[in-house]
Amino acid sequence: MSSKRQSMMPPPPKPPTSLSSTITIAEHASLIGTHLIAIGSNTVVHPRSKLNSTYASITIGNNCIISERSQIGLQGEPEGEERDGILIENGVVVEVGAVVEARHIGEGCVVEVNARIGKGAVLGKHCKIGPLCEIADGEVVPNFTVVFGNGMRRVDRSGIEDLKLKMVRRQVEILRKLIPSKPDKFQ
Amino acid sequence: MSKKVAKGEYIETDTGNKVSRRSQIIGTTNIILGGKTVIQAEVIIRGDLLRTLSSSTGDKSSGNPVAVAIGRYCFFSRGCELRPPGKLYRGSFSHYPLKIADHVFVGPSSIIEAALIGSHVSIGSNCVIGKFAIIKDYVRILDGTVVPPNMVIPSFSVVGGRPGRVVGEVAEGEVDGFDLREVYRGVGNS
Repeated sequence: MSSKRQSMMPPPPKPPTSLSSTITIAEHASLIGTHLIAIGSNTVVHPRSKLNSTYASITIGNNCIISERSQIGLQGEPEGEERDGILIENGVVVEVGAVVEARHIGEGCVVEVNARIGKGAVLGKHCKIGPLCEIADGEVVPNFTVVFGNGMRRVDRSGIEDLKLKMVRRQVEILRKLIPSKPDKFQ
Repeated sequence: MSKKVAKGEYIETDTGNKVSRRSQIIGTTNIILGGKTVIQAEVIIRGDLLRTLSSSTGDKSSGNPVAVAIGRYCFFSRGCELRPPGKLYRGSFSHYPLKIADHVFVGPSSIIEAALIGSHVSIGSNCVIGKFAIIKDYVRILDGTVVPPNMVIPSFSVVGGRPGRVVGEVAEGEVDGFDLREVYRGVGNS
């Protein structure tokens, strides 16, 4: 379309990335910023997800699922420990529209639709943050906690974490077939 | 007379669908739009999340598999998202088709992962409809509601809160308010 107006702003900086060879990253995913973005093996990054490493680096583990419109990365200037960057462990599922600014997200966590995790927060292993829930800046959430409703919490003692990790792995296998991957665009 | 046609916000199809140029529709061959449906800017429709169950019979289904089927006179406000839900069934993970009936209004920034939405449903803004929820006809979902996964909402109910609970019923007089034909006519190409 010749009548399409080009944006006057310069394109956002392409971050240095360290992408594993087995990841599935959609063409319309958005990786911007200046710090390193490292993504582990078998991870799926849906289109329209935003990984922003302008303020700190991002490290994502293996077997993770980053859904559409989610925003991973600090949105503002870090103070103190947040400068280390964001670390997301293996098997984490970040659902649609979630905003993750946490310092550390433990293995197997599920961050549901439109949840917000504040700066410097630390999530334990196998936590579940319900839809639209918010975790305050700097908060430490213990392992196996489920955050739901209007700030209510409970601890999940069912002991089925391995099954949940297996489920995420199955989901990743299917998504790899459905989403065409274009890692070269981001290398 | 000038032959230059101004590029409007919406692309209008033969069946009367008005799709915004700034919507982000993925996998368009697997999406069925009923007709006279409005899709505003920044709407995401994931037509690429198809059912991946292995078919046991040898014959192939004719045509494309359907990921999202939408009825007539639907209205998808800015920023909302339609996503076919997926689950682990008998050891294998698969997505299931999302079926939406006629006259469904979805408010801005809502995220729909339901299995089935009936006709004349009005969904507020910033709602989250969990996976595999079934919403029957003539339901009103208030703003900011989180409908938990697998919930079945009966007809004529008003649902609100987190988690979503039935908080009231749709009165007889309000039933005509769900009709979206006037809303469709009001959408212009300005």
